Amino acid sequence: MRSLDLKLVRDLWHLRGQAIAIALVLAAATATFVMSLGVHRSLAETRDAYYARNHFGDIFVGMTRAPRSVVDRIAAIPGVRRAEGGIQQYATLNFPRRVVPVRALLNAVEPDGPNHLNQVTLRQGRLPRASDPGEVVADEAFAKANGLAVGSQIEALIYGRKQNLRIVGIGLAPNFIYALAPGDIIPDDERFGVFWIGRKALEAATDRTEAINSLSLTLERGASGSDVIHALDSILAPFGGSGAYGRKDHLSHAFLDNELMQLSAMTRVIPPVFLLVAVFLVYIVLGRMIRTERTQIGLIKAFGYSDWAIGRHYLKFALAIALLATVMGTAAGIWMGDAMTRLYAQYYRFPFLYYRISLSVIVAAAALSFAAAALGAIGGVRSAVRLTPAVAMSPPPPPAYRAGTVERLGKAAGFSAIGHMIVRHIARWPGRAVITVSGVALSGGLLFATTQFIDSSRTMIDSFFFRAQRQDLTVTFTEPRNASALYALAQVPGVLRVEPTRAVSVKLSNGKRIERTAIESLPANSQLGLRIDRHGNAVALPASGLMLSSQLASKLAVRIGDRVDVEMLGGRRTQRSLPVASIVDEFVGARAYSSEQTLESITRDASPVGAALVRIDPSARDSILTRLRDAPMILGVTEKAAALVKFRAMIDDNMLTMIAFYVAFASAIAVGVVYNSARILFSERAHELATLRVLGYFRSEVGLVLLGELGLLVAASLPIGCFVGYGMGQLMTAMFSSDLFRLPFAPSRASYGWSSVIVLIAAMTTALTVARRVQKLDMVRVLKGRE
Amino acid sequence: MGRVSTAGAGAGGLAFSAEGLGKVYKTGDTEVRALRGVDLAIPTGEILVLLGPSGSGKSTLLNIIGGLDRPTSGKLHYGETELTCLNDADLTRFRRDHVGFIFQFYNLIPSLTAEENVRLVTDIAVDPMPAADALALVGLLDRRDHYPAQLSGGEQQRVAVARAIAKRPSVLLCDEPTGALDSATGIRVLEALAQANRELGTTVVIITHNAGIAAMADRVFRFLDGRIARIEVNAQPAQPSAISW
Ligand SMILES: Nc1ncnc2c1ncn2[C@@H]1O[C@H](COP(=O)(O)OP(=O)(O)OP(=O)(O)O)[C@@H](O)[C@H]1O
Ligand SMILES: [Mg+2]
Repeated sequence: MRSLDLKLVRDLWHLRGQAIAIALVLAAATATFVMSLGVHRSLAETRDAYYARNHFGDIFVGMTRAPRSVVDRIAAIPGVRRAEGGIQQYATLNFPRRVVPVRALLNAVEPDGPNHLNQVTLRQGRLPRASDPGEVVADEAFAKANGLAVGSQIEALIYGRKQNLRIVGIGLAPNFIYALAPGDIIPDDERFGVFWIGRKALEAATDRTEAINSLSLTLERGASGSDVIHALDSILAPFGGSGAYGRKDHLSHAFLDNELMQLSAMTRVIPPVFLLVAVFLVYIVLGRMIRTERTQIGLIKAFGYSDWAIGRHYLKFALAIALLATVMGTAAGIWMGDAMTRLYAQYYRFPFLYYRISLSVIVAAAALSFAAAALGAIGGVRSAVRLTPAVAMSPPPPPAYRAGTVERLGKAAGFSAIGHMIVRHIARWPGRAVITVSGVALSGGLLFATTQFIDSSRTMIDSFFFRAQRQDLTVTFTEPRNASALYALAQVPGVLRVEPTRAVSVKLSNGKRIERTAIESLPANSQLGLRIDRHGNAVALPASGLMLSSQLASKLAVRIGDRVDVEMLGGRRTQRSLPVASIVDEFVGARAYSSEQTLESITRDASPVGAALVRIDPSARDSILTRLRDAPMILGVTEKAAALVKFRAMIDDNMLTMIAFYVAFASAIAVGVVYNSARILFSERAHELATLRVLGYFRSEVGLVLLGELGLLVAASLPIGCFVGYGMGQLMTAMFSSDLFRLPFAPSRASYGWSSVIVLIAAMTTALTVARRVQKLDMVRVLKGRE
Repeated sequence: MGRVSTAGAGAGGLAFSAEGLGKVYKTGDTEVRALRGVDLAIPTGEILVLLGPSGSGKSTLLNIIGGLDRPTSGKLHYGETELTCLNDADLTRFRRDHVGFIFQFYNLIPSLTAEENVRLVTDIAVDPMPAADALALVGLLDRRDHYPAQLSGGEQQRVAVARAIAKRPSVLLCDEPTGALDSATGIRVLEALAQANRELGTTVVIITHNAGIAAMADRVFRFLDGRIARIEVNAQPAQPSAISW
């Protein structure tokens, strides 16, 4: 047994290049697995611990105004464990030397100690005291982004009144893990902050003594969320309740969930690709090894070793590769997981978030790579086991080349003898050619599928920020205004155009399918807010009926002409049935649109203005922003350009990091596949190549026999790779899409080009390094033997 | 034609001349002295047979003459050209333009038919004969479309001969060309070599363990311990058919 193990070590050393190349591919599987599953676990476990420790609510609801006593009634609903009412109020902050609009969401905290639900975790300082109405806790990310610390003073405009706030603590809470200003799609720590202020102080500032406008509750174990939501909605109906919702519709939770969903999609799509390729690589390398060692196998068996001992020997060879891959892949996966987690910590606000190395993830990753190696080894091991000593020791049957279709084609095409050599060798080992072609194609496909995410996000940016949103600023008012507010805005010097817009929270339903969303209306002749379909064309708002985003339409299972029931949330709670007049493909959110008149027919009021879209003269930006900052009726100003910058930064950080990883990994496939094919090809043809050298062929010409065959295979794999990538890209964009974002599949020609070029470079440099072995061909030695 | 000139390799001159050729193989600590100072002169257009015990250095010398290997000491000229100072590309060019090789194990490319194996050489040669003519010379024209695996050993060796002579080489270097063949087949092969010598004026060097073959040579070198121990000149070379096997 020992001598066989010695042979194993020698074989591994002898084939180290090939073993490492396979290990690289397997390691890519391990690394992606360890990374994505590990990050997923770290995020999910951190979130769950945070939720539990800080008592994140299960159900949430907003309302215009309700007396505090309603909380007790709600707490009495069966299934409710604890209910807590509070006030949430948007405010604008005034930083003396800055013109950019800064918004804050103020949350009430109980004066005599921490809240029970959605508790604040303090990083520094303390909670506000009831005695001092100006004390606040600021959220950590906002404080960091704006250089605020305990003791800093800020001037705020709350409910139309100026008030000075003093930071007494820095903290964070589980309902703002992902903190978005209304209307934004990406966090902007500099321009939007969350604050916690004493309840009495906020009641006083917003004229809501002993009243609430928001409520969260937790459920008893096993209680039905939908029953509670139902009861809650009917209790709050008289108070302008805007419809209760569970965690899945909670913005912060939904974004985090979306991220987790994408990570698990990653875990399901990418490692299998690497594993598949590795299975085939082990298969061809071991197959070749056993063919060349036929006689040895026969001898060893003749010495009395059992079939199983031989089989185990070759199996061990494959498992040794898996071991190497597990070590390399785990190390890389941990490193990448740590980097990814750091990235997440920039967007998601946790009190603690670190990449937790979990043994079970590593064990699962190891199991996968060992299983793949073993699966690849089965064919070879079986043929080694089956070989009887007598058969093994007789010379192998000569390679049977017979006149076939390929050869007739070659003749007709007037191939040179070298050309025939190349083509016939491919035809002689069709299985291997298929494996090489499909391996390289998968590499190209994976590259394409990942690089197309850049196109995808570009298309989304273009559609969302440039085609749909033509405004520069969105101005939100403290409460619905009439046309005079628009007129006032239009008078500000530098304002070029002002359009009113309005969004009303509704529940849309089609039978049992119910979706919470908002209906937005725009003037009929709007130039600033357009609805854009998937082809980038503007679609007019229908005169009557609703326009649904395709996301929403598919969730409701409705088509054009179907009717949906519309229930207005808050206000009058009117109900109507409206036809679906058109469906538009949008990438962000799942919303509904209508004309102003249609929306009025639901709200039964004369279209008040909720917000205004404003186009400005860029040179007047600073003076306009300064004027708006000081206007009391304005709740907030969103600047499109700032959101765009943030969005692009997120793509750069996040997506490009991921893509860099996958470019490296996909190249590992190409390198692994081509290196192994090339080495096998070289060892099979060494004798022939040396013969060509003897006959007077130059090294470069001999190298061409090798490179020609590989080149043909790689060339064949490129279009297949694009095809595979097309499918994979489509699948991955679909898997990555959620209620929040739908990623468009819009690959550019450049992505096809890039992925092909990268594969080509990886494949051909690998082939060239192998072809350099032609330099060392020993003609004399080769001619001594038969083969 | 690269740096190898054919001048001096014409009839009457010397194809190869060597002084003090030595070859030492080093493997680890052990040194094997395969050639210990070989001086030789091979006249153009002759048939030369190398005889000698196994391990005496015949193949080593042939490989050096053919530009497949380099001596560790001494000088070797092909005509006017000093082969020992050519770089690898020029040596390749020398083989391509001037040398035909035949080995004991035919070294045919299994994926090419008989004719294509010959074309491997005619594709790159300067003034080759058509591949079919070369095959006809060895009597295998009717087997042109067969793959090596479909030919007998003797037939394969004749294809190797056709491949070697198709370029109309100046020299044919043969290392035990009949080693794996029976007498009748061996003679057919030798006839083909003699024919090339006669019709193309090719200088032929044959290594063999079959002393009978020496009868067809113009000159016989007897090798011993890495040296040429004795040179015999044959005034009346025999026809291959007359060789006693
Ligand atoms: N690559 C090598 N490394 C070490 N020694 C070598 C090598 N090639 C040949 N030799 C040695 O050089 C000597 C001459 O070998 P060569 O092949 O020239 O003999 P030969 O006369 O052709 O023998 P044979 O008739 O058996 O073919 C031998 O002792 C051989 O062992
Ligand atoms: Mg020899």
